[in-house]
Amino acid sequence: MRVLLIEDEVRLAENVASALREGPGFAVDCAEDGVTGASLAENRCYDLIILDLMLPKLDGISVLKRLRTGKDETPVLILTAVGEVTSTISLLNAGADDYLSKPFDLGELLARAKALIRRGKGVAHPTLSAGDLVVSTLEQTVHRAGEAITLSPMEYRILEYLMHRPRVIISKRELLEHLYDYNWEHHSNVIEVHVSNLRKKLGGNEQQSSIETLRGRGYRLLVTRANEE
Amino acid sequence: MKSYSITRRLIATVLLIELISALCVTSLALVYERHVHFRAFDVLLRGRADSMLGAVQDAEDASDNVMLDGTETTVPPDDIYQVTDASGRLLGRSPNWAGNSVPGQNEQMRVESHEDGQEAFYQTTIHGKTYRVIRMQGLRIVDPGDKGGGIRRYVTVYYGSSMKRVWGAILRTVSFYAISSLLVLACTGILMSWLMNLGLGPLRELATAASKVSVSSWTFLPPEKAKITKELAPLVSALEVLLHSLQRSFEQQRRFVGDAAHELKTGVAVVKSSLQLLSMKERTPLEYQAGLERCLADCGRMEGIVAQMLTLARVEESDAVNPASLQTDVVQCMREVVLEFDTMTQLGQIPILIQGNASLTANVEAEQFKLLCSNLLLNALQHAPPNSAINVEIEQEDSQARIKIRDQGEGIPAESLPHIFERFSRAEPSRSRKTGGTGLGLAICKAVVDKCGGSIEIQSKVARGTTVVVRLPLAHTASYPSMIAQ
Repeated sequence: MRVLLIEDEVRLAENVASALREGPGFAVDCAEDGVTGASLAENRCYDLIILDLMLPKLDGISVLKRLRTGKDETPVLILTAVGEVTSTISLLNAGADDYLSKPFDLGELLARAKALIRRGKGVAHPTLSAGDLVVSTLEQTVHRAGEAITLSPMEYRILEYLMHRPRVIISKRELLEHLYDYNWEHHSNVIEVHVSNLRKKLGGNEQQSSIETLRGRGYRLLVTRANEE
Repeated sequence: MKSYSITRRLIATVLLIELISALCVTSLALVYERHVHFRAFDVLLRGRADSMLGAVQDAEDASDNVMLDGTETTVPPDDIYQVTDASGRLLGRSPNWAGNSVPGQNEQMRVESHEDGQEAFYQTTIHGKTYRVIRMQGLRIVDPGDKGGGIRRYVTVYYGSSMKRVWGAILRTVSFYAISSLLVLACTGILMSWLMNLGLGPLRELATAASKVSVSSWTFLPPEKAKITKELAPLVSALEVLLHSLQRSFEQQRRFVGDAAHELKTGVAVVKSSLQLLSMKERTPLEYQAGLERCLADCGRMEGIVAQMLTLARVEESDAVNPASLQTDVVQCMREVVLEFDTMTQLGQIPILIQGNASLTANVEAEQFKLLCSNLLLNALQHAPPNSAINVEIEQEDSQARIKIRDQGEGIPAESLPHIFERFSRAEPSRSRKTGGTGLGLAICKAVVDKCGGSIEIQSKVARGTTVVVRLPLAHTASYPSMIAQ
């Protein structure tokens, strides 16, 4: 998952970004002003945008309006300091999905971020399951038929992303865009290596859920029909 | 303090004046009516006395005496009369004439002033009734047909009539005047209160409009009537000006409080998130140490913000100083401030060069002037590139001291310049944050300059440098030595 953090307070941005990377293992991009933030958001590669209200050059609410007029449906979490002119009602009406007032609890921010990403992908529960494959996003653990599978952080993130959208073909490019921030070099073969390792670790036979490679198109998480019925 | 109403007071004043004039009119009427009525009464008495004289008849006796033939006269029953002849013999009197005394010798009788030979008027009280009496000397000729013209008999007629009726008439007239005056008074009172009510309408409307103004709603719509009322127009404009400036200052304060809250909350959020990040998982002692150092630095920044905010508040709230009482040696103070930056200038190889008039004293508090200088110099130092210099020029310009601080830094973009003196100016937050700025430094400078009646302006060209020009009023006494020198 990739998060865009638009916050002009550098130290706060650093802390939030570290927490998002260390906790749920998201890729995080930071923008220090509204204009940079808005132009980064135009790439449409984010699963969540965390937006501060008081920003230089372009304030938070304008960024939000620009996103929504551009038909960008990425979930937006607003950071406010109470006492600001803009009320929470007008924020939500402008298309924000949630808000947190400063000073906030980092744990709460992480929980809300995860919930918003989940909701953005049409999933309600933090535990994802596809066939006999169960991924707990809270504990970041993977089980197949009750047996725990140990994954590397990157493998886990790929699986988690695929689990959010089972049976949908996801291109390598999309995986790259959503799992790495700008500080990483984009090499598609990195993804290939990770997916191949992941597939090995997941194991399983023909009847069980597995990752299918569609040459030239991407990857797809197959869910066994037997288990679905 | 007891409240009182202008309306009531005006009405009372007018009514009082009316009452006094009514009293005057009534008393004048009383005097006049009394005069008129008494004259008429006197004429009446004289007529009655004459007719009484006519009733004196020849007594048909030997000595040719006269007698009063009461049957031939018709006088009102409550009138009194008495006729005597020259020797004082009583010829006749009315039955209700009390006593036997002759009027004129009566103790109770009072002679009025206008007495002449022929007639006189008296006032006497008989049976508790006050009578006005005329004494008339009359000549009755007995047997005028006789030879020699008959016998002349001199008689004195006293005729009196009760004054009660006259007084009654006078009082009736006067009371008519009094009652009509009172009626007019009452009507005026009612009319006045109605008219005053009507006339004070604009004032009431203005009060209603003014009462609608509150801290949350500043819109003051003065009613048109109040605006065109000559007496209220100054009040309306004064209110408008007052409300406008109040609103502006309120908004400024509100924005400041909002900004301050934002800054402080952000500061707390930074510290809190730093600590929470640190406790998210097990870390090595080295990581903990680094984290704690970051937290400490965050706390330091918050401390800086709080200190700057307090400084700003102190500068703004310091009492207005006695003008011309302060003499701060501009160059001397500047040198002291520059000394404080000694390590910084040596570290960055950025010398601060001062040139200018050494004998300028400005009317500004020394502490605040130093604050101003250190803020401006710190800004210049933070933005000056290495191996450049900061030039400080101090010279006299008319009655002001002009202090120019020029750096060769990266400059300020033109779009940020208008907002540069605003509190928590966020033109270039990343830069100011990195250099430890709080966005209050220039706001403090502006407050200091405003306090002493000076001015501050900033000219800047991106990539060329920034020049700050401060003008401060000179201390008045400073001009004396130069005048003597001339």
